[in-house]
Amino acid sequence: MMEGLADLYATYQSTLAYIGLNGLLALSIYTSLSCGQLALGNAGFAAIGAYAAALLTMNAGAPFPLALAAAAVVPALVAIPLGLPVLRLKGIFLAIATIGFGEVVRIGLVNWDYVNGAQGLVAIPQKASVGLIWIVLAAATLLLWRLRGSKWGFALEAIRQDEPAARTMGIDTASYKLAMLMLGAALAGLAGGLEAHFTFMVAPNGFGFSRVVDMLVFAVVGGIASVWGPLFGASFLTVLPEAMRDLAPLLGIEPGPLRMLVNGLILLAVILFLPQGLVSLGARWRERRAARARRAA
Amino acid sequence: MQQVVNGIFLGSIYALFALGYTLVFGVLDILNLAHAAVFMLAAFVALALVGHGLHILAAFPLAVLGAGLLGVLLERVAFRPLRARADSNISGLISSLAMATIFEAVAYLVWGPNVSRFPFGTIPESQFHLGGAVISRLQVTIIGVAVALFVALTWLVTRTRLGREVRAVAESPRAARVLGVDVDRVIAWSFLISSALGGAAGVLYALAFNAIQPDMGRGVELKGLAVIVLGGMGSMPGAVVAGFALGLTEVFVVANLGASWRDAVSFAGLFLILVLRPRGLFGAAALREA
Amino acid sequence: MAMSRLAPLAAAAALLAWASPAPAQTVVKIGAALSMTGPAAAYGAQQKAGIQAAVDQINKSGELKGVKLEAVIEDDASTKEQGIAVFQRLINKDKVVAIIGPTLSNTATATDPLAQMAGVPVVAVSNTAPKGITDIGDWIWRVSLTEGQVIPGALKAAQAKLGFKTAGVLYGNDDAFTQAGYSVMKSALEAMGVKTVGTQTFAKPDRDYSAQLTALLGQKPDILVVSALVENASGIVAQARQLGYTGPILGGNGFNSPALIANAGKAAEGVLVGTAWNKVSTEKANQDYVALMKARGHEPDQFCTQAYVGVQVVADAMRLSGQHTRAGVKAGFLKVKDLPTPLGKFSFLPSRDGDHAPAVQVVKDGKFQIMQ
Repeated sequence: MMEGLADLYATYQSTLAYIGLNGLLALSIYTSLSCGQLALGNAGFAAIGAYAAALLTMNAGAPFPLALAAAAVVPALVAIPLGLPVLRLKGIFLAIATIGFGEVVRIGLVNWDYVNGAQGLVAIPQKASVGLIWIVLAAATLLLWRLRGSKWGFALEAIRQDEPAARTMGIDTASYKLAMLMLGAALAGLAGGLEAHFTFMVAPNGFGFSRVVDMLVFAVVGGIASVWGPLFGASFLTVLPEAMRDLAPLLGIEPGPLRMLVNGLILLAVILFLPQGLVSLGARWRERRAARARRAA
Repeated sequence: MQQVVNGIFLGSIYALFALGYTLVFGVLDILNLAHAAVFMLAAFVALALVGHGLHILAAFPLAVLGAGLLGVLLERVAFRPLRARADSNISGLISSLAMATIFEAVAYLVWGPNVSRFPFGTIPESQFHLGGAVISRLQVTIIGVAVALFVALTWLVTRTRLGREVRAVAESPRAARVLGVDVDRVIAWSFLISSALGGAAGVLYALAFNAIQPDMGRGVELKGLAVIVLGGMGSMPGAVVAGFALGLTEVFVVANLGASWRDAVSFAGLFLILVLRPRGLFGAAALREA
Repeated sequence: MAMSRLAPLAAAAALLAWASPAPAQTVVKIGAALSMTGPAAAYGAQQKAGIQAAVDQINKSGELKGVKLEAVIEDDASTKEQGIAVFQRLINKDKVVAIIGPTLSNTATATDPLAQMAGVPVVAVSNTAPKGITDIGDWIWRVSLTEGQVIPGALKAAQAKLGFKTAGVLYGNDDAFTQAGYSVMKSALEAMGVKTVGTQTFAKPDRDYSAQLTALLGQKPDILVVSALVENASGIVAQARQLGYTGPILGGNGFNSPALIANAGKAAEGVLVGTAWNKVSTEKANQDYVALMKARGHEPDQFCTQAYVGVQVVADAMRLSGQHTRAGVKAGFLKVKDLPTPLGKFSFLPSRDGDHAPAVQVVKDGKFQIMQ
């Protein structure tokens, strides 16, 4: 029995770790979205965090906590010169500019011989455990959750709803937006640094456009009205492929492309029918039950 | 000289791809990320038709028409239900992403992951020399088809009733509705035209490089984005000029700096244009900044 | 009455039981982490075909007495995230005795340390990065030759025949496989005293290489040396010919695929391929393999063949050690010597990398042929 449990944990521990990592990445997209900014440079920030941390532990012999701190700080600093000009752009234009930033980071790493180009950094010591990843995620969640109820949170919500109006109310919209971009960059960088020290390697191909699309999908599928949505979306979509591995033989199908199809259909269904994300399902269900109870009474 | 030919050829494909991309953006302010998937599916449809013994001259218009209908489907399923929402440009981006994923999955399920090509002899292969450059007749044909489509589209937009309505909706859907324009119909037509152009680009791309794969849209997707930003989002002449400009720039960078820098230059350029001149080279002075 | 009607059935059942071996067989699972979706999906499909063919063949031949092999093949979606999940699953849930794969070198550097820590033998069948694979530890073995074992020999053989003095190099720089291939080409050319007149790169999604090729051909190299994946290779060859280049083109492992000839057509004529698998080898093991795959209706490429050999090597290790456990497979690997495979006589080097003779092929009359 104990052995069975140990095997079960060992089988799914990487899934647990990736729920944590993807949760952090989903939150990193959420920080900008919470003030209405669609910034899609987070794969680039995650790459910067991952490489900064890995280079520090491998080439400079730095202790892991220091490397992890750098994984958060370096991308946050990079976000300043990036954010100052691009945050003046709105909507889709901000998205495109930040996609451009992410691609420049990836191409830069591919062309940088010191970090082995496309082959990436390998044999990184495994320092991050599943527990540590979850502690970092919990801390980030707590921070963002507290932020929401605070004065900051109200300012961010005001910016999200109507930026010019927020400005006339005396809210320094530019500073708030930049601060959230930096926070998002730090979270993405942390995820990158943790991932590098969990999976033994980092390579530029792991940080392409499709990675940031994944992050956005996590957040949107879960719902971006609260901090719980991105967490739920990341967990759901990380577990889904593993669940499909178990289901596929029972249903007698090849998972492969089907997994892609299911992902696309879920995303479409959520955006069409559940604009508040999957987390709003619970609320809807409760409402309906309450309504039925009222009718019964 | 050869490099100029290379650049013009590459540019004509970028331009054709971006033209449809930017048309939808101009009308709806929505980035249709499924455009690259339509590009890919049209190539597969043309391949399947040629495989059934159809001549390419018949298969090409049919595949383009198919792509156009796919665009109408896309609009009905992924965009129309979202139009009333306040954040429709972000939710539209995401639903188009969902459609792109579904299209790509379908291509994997139907055609598998391998590179396919048109059978040999689909297009007669011959080439000629011009001022030291080698040009194939296929390349000339492709550039010719692209130019013909640009001209046809310009005529459509500037000279026809539908074109006037498209421009009216792009300007302000509300005002257009007041003027008696059937906005839904105009948007559906825009998608049809946009996707047909994307499909045409896909078939020509597949013919030129003889490589059809479920992820073939990925290579042009981000390049197309750079082109429409450079040209000014929503601007059709801008997309054409910027398409050729990007094609020539890329070739120039490869020839002088080496190919490693090519993509970095494209994206850094995209970035700079957005920051310094958000309206692009030809865009109207629309409100792009908050 | 019922009795007599059942009698023939009973007789048939008895006959069947006699004809087929005793059902008291141990099922031994071999895991495989392959890229069935994502950018490397085309390779994964080939590898899957090879593994299944090998497992069926070995079960049919009965060379492992009392053992029935079963392949557990999982898709890693060409990502390290799912690659890790697949490895954990194969190691802890399916309890496989060995793992074949993963398809991509990048993924291998993330997954193989897990197998090393758990003590599960891994057989890499398509990882060609010279560093960072087998040096992970003593449980990691490799069948695929690194580009370092193939390219220098191919270049020398080609030079002896063609006598080129200058080379133009083109490689995919956003992929671990092609980038590693390039490093080997570069040092091999230097060692041979061949002058590299130009180096250009492309990215995996590219389909137009004419700008790079024009720049390279402008330097008038005697030979074009290319490190590319299958999906890029045919386009590069076709476009080089279209630009009027008539000289030799030499490619690495990525060129060794029927897709090259299928997609480049006449343009592929005269292309030289340094490769781990000599498809036209007349050795019996290879002839049998080619016939087997033909009977199965699958046209194999090098990736299919290497995956096939991966299973063969694991089975042979079990036979040699007489154990079908993880430790047994590893102990058996040490004893594998001159195993006849479609790749040639196979042994492991002390570095746990595969050792067999590479080949240089040339495309002639629409077919890969051995270079004379």
